[in-house]
Amino acid sequence: MNLAIEVLNLTKQYRNTNTLAVDNISLTVETGEIFGLLGPNGAGKTTTISILCSLLQGTSGEVIINGMNLKSHSNEIKKNIGVVPQDIALFPNLTAFENLQFFGNMYGLKGTILETRIFELLEIFGLAQKAKQKLKTYSGGMKRRVNLIAGILHTPKILFLDEPTVGIDVQSRSVIMEYLMRLKENGMTIIYSSHHMEEAERYCSRVAIIDKGKIIIVGTPENLIKNHTNCNTLEDIFIEKTGRSLRD
Amino acid sequence: MLKYIASTIKDLKLLSRDRAGLAMLFVMPLALIIIMTLLQDSTFKVLEERKLPLLVLNMDKDTFGINIVEGLVTSKFFKVVDQVGDNEEALKTLKERVSKGEFQIGVVVNKNATELLRNNIKYNIVKQLPDEDSLVFGDLAIKLEPAAKIEIYFDPITKNSFKQSITSALNEFSSGVEAKVLFGVYSSLLKQLLGMEMKNKGGFDKLVEVQTLYASNDNNIVIPNSVQHNVPAWTIFAMFFIVIPLAGNIIKERESGISKRLSVIAGSNMPIILGKVTTYFFVGIIQAISMLAVGVWILPLLGLPQLIIGDNYLALIILTAAVSLAASGYGVLIGSIATSQEQSSIFGSISVVILAAIGGIWVPVFMMTDLMQKVSMLSPLNWALVGYYDVLLRNVGISEILSYVLLLMGFFLICISCAWYFNRIRKSS
Repeated sequence: MNLAIEVLNLTKQYRNTNTLAVDNISLTVETGEIFGLLGPNGAGKTTTISILCSLLQGTSGEVIINGMNLKSHSNEIKKNIGVVPQDIALFPNLTAFENLQFFGNMYGLKGTILETRIFELLEIFGLAQKAKQKLKTYSGGMKRRVNLIAGILHTPKILFLDEPTVGIDVQSRSVIMEYLMRLKENGMTIIYSSHHMEEAERYCSRVAIIDKGKIIIVGTPENLIKNHTNCNTLEDIFIEKTGRSLRD
Repeated sequence: MLKYIASTIKDLKLLSRDRAGLAMLFVMPLALIIIMTLLQDSTFKVLEERKLPLLVLNMDKDTFGINIVEGLVTSKFFKVVDQVGDNEEALKTLKERVSKGEFQIGVVVNKNATELLRNNIKYNIVKQLPDEDSLVFGDLAIKLEPAAKIEIYFDPITKNSFKQSITSALNEFSSGVEAKVLFGVYSSLLKQLLGMEMKNKGGFDKLVEVQTLYASNDNNIVIPNSVQHNVPAWTIFAMFFIVIPLAGNIIKERESGISKRLSVIAGSNMPIILGKVTTYFFVGIIQAISMLAVGVWILPLLGLPQLIIGDNYLALIILTAAVSLAASGYGVLIGSIATSQEQSSIFGSISVVILAAIGGIWVPVFMMTDLMQKVSMLSPLNWALVGYYDVLLRNVGISEILSYVLLLMGFFLICISCAWYFNRIRKSS
């Protein structure tokens, strides 16, 4: 088993708060799998992903990515990861091409190599014709697709996605998820958080359900459903484990 | 280097597409500089050309009163209006007109002022003579009378500067008249004492001349005027206002998640920050060039004096670059500290206004209290202003302004370091 990510007793307490956003979690992610991090609002998904991609510092615990300790090798690790944030983290007044060119440059890509890569991805995601339009003229689904492209331009080994399909149409979601499957087949490790249980059940190699900062359950969707005789879907398990009470 | 270039190009593109932002950065400062210079210039004109209206009541009607009124009339500072009459009723009317604000200042030369002046001069001279000589004046019993009086009435809203102008002008005129009367009395006494007839040649020539000159080692001295003072001052003020769009740009990127996205990319984020600094540095330079150009070419079209740049171009360029860098650094700091766009625009604008106020942009530093003069030395806008005055008014070279350039560069480095520190704290929280 080749581990892409190993998390040991990770805890995160934000300054001036009493509760733990991430409460002593441990998990492993194998190379080339799509690992789903599922949980209700405020469960700790985004915080966990933020720590794994070194956006935040954990309060305690250890994170090993591609065999390297995150604390001591964060710069080295950053070279091999891609992040697709929940927000549309792009410049609305730049065109899709200009946005991608900028982020490509940030990853050290330039010239014709970068341009070819941008147009290849825009073509895949059905945006090549509108590459020169300002992003603010795009629909929500189109922006999400560009948001994803900006995170994979440099072909990372590990890709973190924080709710990449939230608030978009079925077609856009389908294109995004199909492409993620292609990336997985090419050996990319993908960690993604989502509220879409059906999507997770369909595309994830393994999932972890997280609530109140703790991992409640981990496994392949099939095994989890098989082991919960009264549950037919991942959503049933999710409701069973996290309850029906509303979250902030 | 690629990160730095890409960041600079990106910010230039974003800026060029933000019309409102561009208007704020370029059109508003130009409007500000024109309006402020026109306003300040007209204030000077109120004093210099329009003249301060004075209501004058001459109850003396003799040498002293006539000369005082003549002095006021011929002065370039006052417009004299006569109060008709020479009695108590006329005095009452004058007081009423001033108290109602019809005139800010009323001047009354009291009755018999010349006679009292002559008498008291004679008394003082005779007092100095030996007793036997004073007998020459026979039964002339000279007593000291009350001093000749000029009364000045002020409207309560009259500014202190106006009060000082009229008081010092009257002191000057009355001294001149005193000398004239003194000379007349001496002539008369000499005649009585020695039987010597003085040649009546009228007044005597002015013996002391006060010349106003500007101290400078350079012969091509620039005469200070409202343009020469205002253009650099408001240029600095406007250049520092780039903190608002720059800080807003940083916060917008943070709020949209772009900063997070950029901070998970390997390598330092400093090239990205420096890209922003570069973009806004050039904005500051263009602002300065356009504002100085307004001073040279546009203000003269509006009837104002032309801005004289002098010939120390290199010093001017280096100083302007340092100011622009300092302003950009401050913008990065505000953008890093503030947590929202509202916070950054309020804090950014108010802090620039405060730094401008203590830096002498609005009120000259020499008019401040000792404490505030010391405080003003802490404002980067003051360093910039003194530097510009040195280059534009004192016509000095690079070596003389180097200390201000270094202070501004130091301010930039401190701002960038603090911004970096705040970002680190934010990440670890």
